[in-house]
Amino acid sequence: MAVASTGEHLRIDVRSESDRIVLGLHGELDLLGAPLLQQQIDQVEQDAPAIVVLDLQDLQFVDSAGLRVILAAHERSRQQGREFALTRGTEQVQRLFTIAGVSEHLKIILSPDELLV
Amino acid sequence: MPETQDGQPTSVNARPQGELAMSLLIEAGAVLASSLDLTTTMGQVARLTVPRHGDLCVIDLRDEDGSIKGVAVASAVEGLAQELERLRTDHPLDPQGRHPVAQVIRSGEPVLLAEMTDALLDSFAQGSRHAKFMIDHGYRSAVVAPLRARGRTLGALSVLRLGATIPFDEEDLDLMCELARRAGLAIDNARLFSEMRAVERRLEAVLVNLAEAITVVDEQGRTVFANQAAADLLQVDDPDELMRAQPGAIMSRFLVLDEQGRELDLDRMPGRRLFAGEDPGALLVRNIVRATGEERWIIVRASPIADPDSGRNTYVVNVFENITEVKRVQLAESFMAEASRVLASSMDYSETLQRVARLAVPQIADWCAVDLLSHQDEIERVAIHHPDPAMVALAERLNRDYHSEPQDSGGVPEVIRTGEARIYTDIQPDALAGYARDRQHLELLRAIGATAVVIVPMIGATGAIGAITLVSSQSSRRLTPADLALAERLGRRAGTAVENARLYTERARIAQTLQQALLPESLPQIPGAEVRARYCAAGELNEVGGDFYDVFAHGSDGWMLLIGDVCGKGPRAAGVTALARHTLRAAAMSGQSPPQMLETLHRALRLQPPGEDLCTVCLVAAQKGAGRMRLTVALAGHPPPLILQRDGTARLVGKPGTLLGVIDPVEISETVAELGPGETLLLYTDGVSEAGRADRQLGEQGLIELCRVAPGLDLDGLLDHIEHGALGLADGKLRDDIALLAFRLSPSGP
Repeated sequence: MAVASTGEHLRIDVRSESDRIVLGLHGELDLLGAPLLQQQIDQVEQDAPAIVVLDLQDLQFVDSAGLRVILAAHERSRQQGREFALTRGTEQVQRLFTIAGVSEHLKIILSPDELLV
Repeated sequence: MPETQDGQPTSVNARPQGELAMSLLIEAGAVLASSLDLTTTMGQVARLTVPRHGDLCVIDLRDEDGSIKGVAVASAVEGLAQELERLRTDHPLDPQGRHPVAQVIRSGEPVLLAEMTDALLDSFAQGSRHAKFMIDHGYRSAVVAPLRARGRTLGALSVLRLGATIPFDEEDLDLMCELARRAGLAIDNARLFSEMRAVERRLEAVLVNLAEAITVVDEQGRTVFANQAAADLLQVDDPDELMRAQPGAIMSRFLVLDEQGRELDLDRMPGRRLFAGEDPGALLVRNIVRATGEERWIIVRASPIADPDSGRNTYVVNVFENITEVKRVQLAESFMAEASRVLASSMDYSETLQRVARLAVPQIADWCAVDLLSHQDEIERVAIHHPDPAMVALAERLNRDYHSEPQDSGGVPEVIRTGEARIYTDIQPDALAGYARDRQHLELLRAIGATAVVIVPMIGATGAIGAITLVSSQSSRRLTPADLALAERLGRRAGTAVENARLYTERARIAQTLQQALLPESLPQIPGAEVRARYCAAGELNEVGGDFYDVFAHGSDGWMLLIGDVCGKGPRAAGVTALARHTLRAAAMSGQSPPQMLETLHRALRLQPPGEDLCTVCLVAAQKGAGRMRLTVALAGHPPPLILQRDGTARLVGKPGTLLGVIDPVEISETVAELGPGETLLLYTDGVSEAGRADRQLGEQGLIELCRVAPGLDLDGLLDHIEHGALGLADGKLRDDIALLAFRLSPSGP
């Protein structure tokens, strides 16, 4: 089942798979979009899924506000023993992860359905 | 004339039958044509037959409910008619009974009872009193003829002969049938007439009592009918006054304007257009009573009454619908909607209030002025409007030379003090003299020519913060309680708008002050080098941004340059920014290396609940060397700085390191570089490189391109150039704040 919610420049699809919930991000994740992602992640975490994947393949832009939401979710997953992974975003998104020095910390996968153990 | 034995008159035909019959019918024709009043006519018809054709004549009519009523009785015998009338009232004939009248009315056929026996009389009597009456009075011979018209039997005409007499024969029956036929038509006519009269009376009653004003006007403009509502609308005592007045005399008491306020040619009125052969629709007019200035909104409709023969319009029925209240509400609503729109359009309230004043004129007043209570509790005129600039100048002079003080009694000061509206109506010229402070004041007041003034408070959260004054100065307008209510709404709305604008400005001022407090007051003088910074806030004026920079001395012959970005905006970001700057300064003083300084900040951030405050920093320690500067660059999640070389090319310096505050552990390394003479170190925040929409961002390469012109520009010129470049790409709307810090070594070195 897909649930979509949209902000000014951001759209999020929520997809529930057998072992994971995939949040597909489309558009721009900035100061305006960050609260929407936060809200969606909060909701997803309530169902206590084993794996949460952020699919960033269609994400055009992310800034520090967006990054903060992603990193906080990553940190919570680590504490709560949940797998948290991201697919690679566009060049800008990858560049930001690199500059922020967080690429090493995050689990980057090639496809949202990639097997995770 | 022969007498009966007992002296009673009897009906013996002295003249030949034919002549008598002819004379009856001629007389009947005259009687029946003389009146349309049914009772009168029937009495006359009954009397025609007595005593020449009979001794007693009774006319009975059938009512709508089927009952039979005697309407006329004539008798040659004294008292007999009255007695019979009483009998008919007390003992009405049974419509289904055997009485000949009932039978004739039922059948529509005449009856001849040439010889009636007492037994016969008894058989159809309506009770014993009736039987006794007939027998006592010697009922002997009778004809009963139906009164008919348009195929219906309306009643019966009975003629009787009493006592010893000549019985009626067939010839008599025919004559009475003929008389009854004519009487039947007359009854029918009379009934139709009375029905028509009843309809007319009802119609008139409807017209007279209609709430809508109605007049009927002929081609000469004379009013031939008017109802009371019309009299009320045209402000005369009664409809007769309208009908007596000369054409046009009443209308000259009014100013008739169209919807836009232009005087209306009376030939455009629907009634006149109908007479001119046009087919006008309804017309909305603004009608102003010249004597009082009262304003009314009226819809005028007209329909023609055409002459049935010529087809020409001989009369026009005018219907006037007074919609003043509806129109007033509609105008008030549209005024308030427009005023609200204007008030919400800008945070510059003095400009906004001037526009509101312009909006109020001429719609609700001839003048509009707005005064505000300043921070120093002075009454300040912030807006004034009148269509004539010379009049505006007059009002400005009045306000300057005879300014109101907050403690003055009456007028604007009192309204602001009490928060309650004041209305002054019917201001007489004499009253001005009492109010004026001196001759010149009086002259000015006279020139303003106020006839009515409404002053309403502008209400903010803490009470009245100003007042709106509406002045009526033309006889064509008067301020009403409805205008007062509208003005009070305007006052409340404007008060809120002004207060919002003031709060906004206040917050913006606080934000600006706070932002300045977060940034160094001034950059230090660095021998042999120049340093410049630029900060450009995105979005709302009243939000504190999260970018920061700092430059301070570090050790001997060393400088620390840093730029950073705290995620978010507002008070929380401001707090984190302050923490970052002070922590980094303290860490530098304790002799930490750039990566150590950043780790110290990271730990400080993690200690701050909720431990998720994200911060990126670019830190550069510049140490004076021989003819150049040795740079140590440490990055914590921040874009790398640029070294702009003298040939216009640029290179990025530094290795990516973990941003601070969210993820443990942070990994930060340092990179060493050299800054040669005339070269520029440029530190920036991601607001610069991320300026523009996602698909066409400036990016680091774009920034490098922008900096190609650096060698030809001084540092201020360079920062202007970069700022414009970023703003241009973002169409003037930055996604994030921009901070820039540039450090240029002089061409001769440090």
